[in-house]
Amino acid sequence: MLEAILAGAIRSGTSVLFACLGETVSERAGIVNLGTEGSMLGGALAAFAATAYTGNPYAGVLAGAAAGAIFALLHAWLVVTRNANQLVSGLVVMILAQGVTAFFGRTFVDKQIVGLNTQPIPFLSDIPFVGPILFQHDILTYLAVPLAIALWYGFYRTKWGLVLRAVGERDDVAYASGYNPDRVRYAAVTLGGALAGIGGAQLSVAYTLNWVEEMTQGRGLVAVALVIFAAWSPLRAILGCYLFGGATALQLALQAQGIPISPFFLSMVPYLLTLFVLLLVAQKQRYAMPEGLRAVFEGKGNYSTQNR
Amino acid sequence: MKTRKKLLPFLSLVLIFAFVISACAAPAAAPAPGAEAPAAAEPTEAPAAEASVTEAEMAPGMGGSAIGFLYVGPCDDYGYNQAACAGADAVGTAFPDMEILEAENVPENQEAERVMETMIRQGAKIIFPTSYGHLDPALEVAKRHPDVVFLHQGGQKTAENLGTYFGTIWETVYLSGVAAGHMSETGKLGYIVAFPIPQVLLNINAFTLGARSVNPDATTTVVFTASWCDPGQQAEAVNSLVAQDVDVITQHQDCTKTIIETAERAGVMSVGYHADASTLAPEGWITGSMWDWSELYAKIVASVEDGTWAGGPYSGNYRTGVSEGSVKLAPFGKNVPQAVQDEIAALQAQLLSGEFFPFEGPIVDQNGVEQIAAGVRLSVGELESTNYLIEGVVGTIPQ
Amino acid sequence: MQETIALPNSASSTGLERLRRSLPWATLLRWLLLALGPLAIFALFLLTVGADPIKTYSAMYFSALGDSFGLAEVMIRAAPFILGGLATALPARTRLVNVGAEGQIALGALATTFAAMAIGDRFPAWVTLPALLVAGAAGGALWAGVAGLLRTRLAVNETISTLLLNYVGALVLIFCVHTVLKDPESFNWPFSPPFADAARWVTIGGTRLHWGVIVAPIAALLVWYFLTRTHWGLHLRVVGGNPEAARRAGFNVERIQVLVFLAAGALAGMAGMLEVAGVEGRLRPTTGVGFGYVGFLAAWMVGQHPLGLIASSILLAVLAVSGDALQITARLPASSVNILMAFVLIGILARVGKKNAA
Repeated sequence: MLEAILAGAIRSGTSVLFACLGETVSERAGIVNLGTEGSMLGGALAAFAATAYTGNPYAGVLAGAAAGAIFALLHAWLVVTRNANQLVSGLVVMILAQGVTAFFGRTFVDKQIVGLNTQPIPFLSDIPFVGPILFQHDILTYLAVPLAIALWYGFYRTKWGLVLRAVGERDDVAYASGYNPDRVRYAAVTLGGALAGIGGAQLSVAYTLNWVEEMTQGRGLVAVALVIFAAWSPLRAILGCYLFGGATALQLALQAQGIPISPFFLSMVPYLLTLFVLLLVAQKQRYAMPEGLRAVFEGKGNYSTQNR
Repeated sequence: MKTRKKLLPFLSLVLIFAFVISACAAPAAAPAPGAEAPAAAEPTEAPAAEASVTEAEMAPGMGGSAIGFLYVGPCDDYGYNQAACAGADAVGTAFPDMEILEAENVPENQEAERVMETMIRQGAKIIFPTSYGHLDPALEVAKRHPDVVFLHQGGQKTAENLGTYFGTIWETVYLSGVAAGHMSETGKLGYIVAFPIPQVLLNINAFTLGARSVNPDATTTVVFTASWCDPGQQAEAVNSLVAQDVDVITQHQDCTKTIIETAERAGVMSVGYHADASTLAPEGWITGSMWDWSELYAKIVASVEDGTWAGGPYSGNYRTGVSEGSVKLAPFGKNVPQAVQDEIAALQAQLLSGEFFPFEGPIVDQNGVEQIAAGVRLSVGELESTNYLIEGVVGTIPQ
Repeated sequence: MQETIALPNSASSTGLERLRRSLPWATLLRWLLLALGPLAIFALFLLTVGADPIKTYSAMYFSALGDSFGLAEVMIRAAPFILGGLATALPARTRLVNVGAEGQIALGALATTFAAMAIGDRFPAWVTLPALLVAGAAGGALWAGVAGLLRTRLAVNETISTLLLNYVGALVLIFCVHTVLKDPESFNWPFSPPFADAARWVTIGGTRLHWGVIVAPIAALLVWYFLTRTHWGLHLRVVGGNPEAARRAGFNVERIQVLVFLAAGALAGMAGMLEVAGVEGRLRPTTGVGFGYVGFLAAWMVGQHPLGLIASSILLAVLAVSGDALQITARLPASSVNILMAFVLIGILARVGKKNAA
């Protein structure tokens, strides 16, 4: 039972984790992207469509990343170059993606694809308890946690990470050191969108092998909330996203055991927990929040109003 | 500060006036101002008054140039909507002069009212709101349009100009339960459903009865997703059931593709619902229940068009089933032994002749309470108020 | 800097405000481009799937603006956008961000439904409807008040908390509809019992237009009057412009912030009331979904101006309503209309930046 719930947590949390890591990169550079939901949706459709056309799910994942990046690029252009309000721009990108995917996705509803299959890792997958939880997944799921660790390493142990964080904290410092903050923001937002696109791809070509309108069901917005839960740390993001996945898996498992706990109540848990965490560490959280984000969350709409 | 604001309020006030004026213009342009205020409420009154004038020449629903169909999902979902769309196509073929207006992904709330109104404005006098949750919006629209006939799929409420139809699909669900009972090795079956409405509960009960008729120890584990089609939830529901040793999975969802494909990939068997999805699971497909609405839809439309609908069978809660071909058993999968196929064919013949009735008492619910006494055969209407799960079902009705 | 303090939200120097500042002809041309650009882009989308743009556009026009029913639909859709937008615009004046109209609308609808079930048909409509409006406002205010208190007492950022409370609010609504509020005669289908006649806004002449929509423009007018014509409105600006200075000047900044949030929530909650007591007639799991976010966008489009909000809400409502025609006439998914809506907004977003960036 516990084994099944934990395995389920990883299965249903992975797509959110990709999106959450992408949003972490973006927010580290000082850009909030509510369009993460749109990047996920776009990624889910593009991956499904490309897989249906080429028969190759890896091509699908690439297409998903590309589609996610394109929607994020639009957000980057609006907020960096055109200095638009970040929350508004993100919502608009989300709305655009809902429209575009509904429009082009209609013909793919009944397509059958060969997706990314579960590939148990030899020997490791046979370990009792741990094996089924950790080592019987598709390739994207295996990549999610290493990616989070790599991002953590990148943020704190490499020059690029330093530049990225500098742009998110004090872009005048980054500028003085000879880096163009806008270019860094473009790169961060686009990379974030690509990761969200991969999250969408995981949903459509690895997890469900299906495309339906609105299939992300708000997972991209959840990812944005979980970035806050994780206090902009890729490692804590792992915890947050699998906790979210766990709530889904737990409610289904409890039902199957005949235990009458409302699934809706369980679905609330991740959000209430995030609020609770915010409560406990409100001051610390403020400290952890990239300086550039403060402007967005505190009503100026965009980082550059304070800088220019 | 003040000067810069001058133009803005002015412009906006103009807009407010536009808002209010068009609000007032609306009733003037509408056909029957005041007469249809909700205080006049009961749907029966308005049509009755109207009928006395026009009955001689034209009954409700006649004389339209279009027929409207509303679906809650897309038309090729390997499921409920696909079956309904196929029915609409058949109506288009049978009535080539009629325009078929179709709307997919219509939510089960007031938005459905607007879609129906738009169809009526485009000349529809017959409307098929096909999803369960379209019923109450349809009743609202029916009050406003006594000259339009509404035909709801699966509901239990009627009005002067709204009838319902459905099929006793639990007959074939029972048969596929028998097949599942034979095929399952673990004796654990899984049922992924959306909402605990009577149709759903009846199907779960029928499936379980069928399985337990050949394997008395079989159990059905039921999982509610609170959505007709959410692939993410569906995939996880399958995985969750498989983790509990379930080896046959069936469903009452609108879209069935994710569940059947995920079951196939997990190496467990599947039983379909709504449409033939055997191509999705070449190994694990057992059989399934399918709708064939083409004949029924055409018959209903014909009765409306020739003025015999009102007072006829289709103006109430019309129920059909295997006997009329609206409900069918899907083809068997390649791994189902011939003996099992023959047994089910024989059972279907008994069912058709009335010799056999799946819900003949005694039927005992999960709590050991006898719900149907020995030897009693409830009517279809009585069965459709089912609010319990029978013995052998694991999982509870969410309250 | 002076101006930034006086006009806390950067967006308020944009939108309609710019209309006045620029030369009329150049401005008109730009607005024409803003209107026609998205139509042209969406026409290209239509052409890629072989749909006839002219036929499609005329069908869309007819469905939303072509007859009294369409106009009525636009108005019943615009009303909650206006109220949801006011819930954003009012806090914006004190530089507070409320992305939570979505959840506040849900709680407003929920509170209205609880009240309607309790009251039943005991009283005439002129008693019941105002009572329900108060209930809806209270529900929304409660939800926004949580965010307000979190912000002032516990330093939890209100953008984040209102965003999170949206999910919780939606789930609370769904939970209640599936449990305590479930219609006992619904055969387990998740919706509340129907509202009594006395708890329903009267509709007008064969359309779904109900008298409740008047609440929205009246609220907009009151908020505008309050902000620009009363000294309280000025206080809000001072608090938003420079909280420190305001505090030194003797304002109770925290109290004002909480009150602003309560008022914003009350406005959004009334949108929920209009939806259940005006349009739906009962509470459903999907009642009001998305209205809060659209309201947020509508408020932003006009630089948080309460009266301009009426215009932007009507525009967005026209687009939302015309989606049906896409589906029925061109057999395209109704939500394709989001493409058109997004390009209208992108045009404004990109244009706004032009001046700021320069």
